[in-house]
Amino acid sequence: MKADGTIVARQLHKSFGSHEVLRGIDLSVAAGEISCIIGPSGSGKSTLLRCVNGLETVDRGVLRVNGEDFGYVETDNAYHAVRPQRLAEQRSHIGMVFQQFNLFPNMTAEDNVISGPVLVKKVNRKVAREQAQKLLAQVGLAGCGHKYPAQLSGGQQQRVAIARALAMEPSIMLFDEPTSALDPELVGEVLAVMRDLAHHGMTMLVVTHEMGFARDVADEILFMDGGVAIERGDAREVLANPREKRTQEFLERVL
Amino acid sequence: MSTKTIGSPTSRPVPELLPEQKKRITPKRPRDYVSWAVAVAIVGGLVTTTVTNENYQWPVVFSYFTAQSILDGLVLTLVLTVASMVLGTLLGLVLAVMRMSHQAPISGLARLYITFFRGTPVLVQLIFWFNIAALYPNVSLGIPFTDISTPVDVNALMTPLTAAIVGLTLNQAAYMAEIIRGGFASVNRGQYEAADSLGMSGFTRLRHVIIPQTMPAIIPATGNQVIGMLKETSLVSVLGVAELLNSAQSIYARTYQTIPLLIVASLWYLIMTMALSVPQSMIERRFSRSTRRPAPVAVATKESLL
Ligand SMILES: Nc1ncnc2c1ncn2[C@@H]1O[C@H](COP(=O)(O)OP(=O)(O)OP(=O)(O)O)[C@@H](O)[C@H]1O
Ligand SMILES: [Mg+2]
Repeated sequence: MKADGTIVARQLHKSFGSHEVLRGIDLSVAAGEISCIIGPSGSGKSTLLRCVNGLETVDRGVLRVNGEDFGYVETDNAYHAVRPQRLAEQRSHIGMVFQQFNLFPNMTAEDNVISGPVLVKKVNRKVAREQAQKLLAQVGLAGCGHKYPAQLSGGQQQRVAIARALAMEPSIMLFDEPTSALDPELVGEVLAVMRDLAHHGMTMLVVTHEMGFARDVADEILFMDGGVAIERGDAREVLANPREKRTQEFLERVL
Repeated sequence: MSTKTIGSPTSRPVPELLPEQKKRITPKRPRDYVSWAVAVAIVGGLVTTTVTNENYQWPVVFSYFTAQSILDGLVLTLVLTVASMVLGTLLGLVLAVMRMSHQAPISGLARLYITFFRGTPVLVQLIFWFNIAALYPNVSLGIPFTDISTPVDVNALMTPLTAAIVGLTLNQAAYMAEIIRGGFASVNRGQYEAADSLGMSGFTRLRHVIIPQTMPAIIPATGNQVIGMLKETSLVSVLGVAELLNSAQSIYARTYQTIPLLIVASLWYLIMTMALSVPQSMIERRFSRSTRRPAPVAVATKESLL
């Protein structure tokens, strides 16, 4: 079965040069589940998330996304990297939202949203525009389609970025600190869109420092430190009664 | 005491102005007038001397201004500019791609080329290409591993005109490579990642996301290069290519009217660079606007972006 909206990682390892950033991470996100990754700066949260859609390559370990090996095919004694076209195809089922939005500044909001469907899926432009207008309305930006990213606030840009990712009709959405670059009063509008998405059954893997969001929305929390998953479990349980000392210390600092 | 109290019986009745509504006035300072006086004096002096000094020989200037050989030279100058710019940009693009390659030998080759051609004077390069036959008198063009080949007499091939175009092109390519590379360097890594995360192919990413964003850096800089190249072509006069400067020189070699003919050439260069600077500043304004707050709606509604 294709694009079933699951993520499974076992013993993921990743190094940058001699610096081992992921040191045997396990992760499991079921279809429709919301999983939040928390942890101190430099603990490897972004790296883990970026491995899941191939922005970073994995050195060792098992990574299955949407029910199939991601970026590699397994043979008897090795994993072999797939061709770029195949990787792009696998990526097109995974939406990613970046901390710095990364909207295309040379395109209007609506052109940003249709860029995936039109350029990748070769969807008819008129059909894509209609879908884009619906998506922009869904993220509270009806009528803003003609504006360029530079004319939008940070919160609006991030919501366009979410709409752009959703336009590919992904089965999984990845969020890397989507509200960290925003002024405090704009955080709420982005989180509201994410909550809405969660209620509609999207599989979400979210790196965040918004503990309130994690408590309200997440099914599972993964606390990382030093490239290791220190604690993993039911979101409310971990936040209320962390078992590990390092988790306790981290939560005391951020809450 | 000169201060007046508001509402005192002696004050003249003035229209009631609230402090918030009062204009703020900065007095003109002496230097504001002095700078004008200096500028007027300099320009006035220059105009007077150019008009009154007979040695400028303005009638000669006017008589040669549209002489056939001058106009022919003008055309050749434009041809050289366009040819070297077009070829130089194409080669520059290749060099820029090589320079950005992750393969160390490839980027190293490009770097070597760029260092060499930017590090030596164009004039020297031009003379070098003209004399290349001294190094390689005969070159044989052939298909490797076959007997098919044709010997080429380099001396006959390297006419002044070829040497001029080769020299200007190779030099220009080094500069264009750096401009193009700078354009790509100005695009944030996140743009590549965003395109990748949507599943775009390498080509789509380049064509629709990256290249459009390199243009604000590349186009204005290229415009400057065109203007620079127009003037640089005068260097090939030393090879005996009958471009604008050389045409003027040929005339004054006969008539000894050196100054008026240099004025003729200079005026033409000035006219051409001024004509080019109009579109250039339009381009610059357009791109500096679009990087900050893009978007008069006219631009926004164009669907050419995708
Ligand atoms: N491309 C890279 N090359 C070299 N080192 C890298 C690279 N990307 C990340 N790192 C290093 O890997 C470590 C983990 O980085 P990562 O971005 O995953 O941390 P993080 O948990 O997301 O931190 P933050 O909360 O600050 O975003 C850091 O020490 C970082 O310096
Ligand atoms: Mg991070």
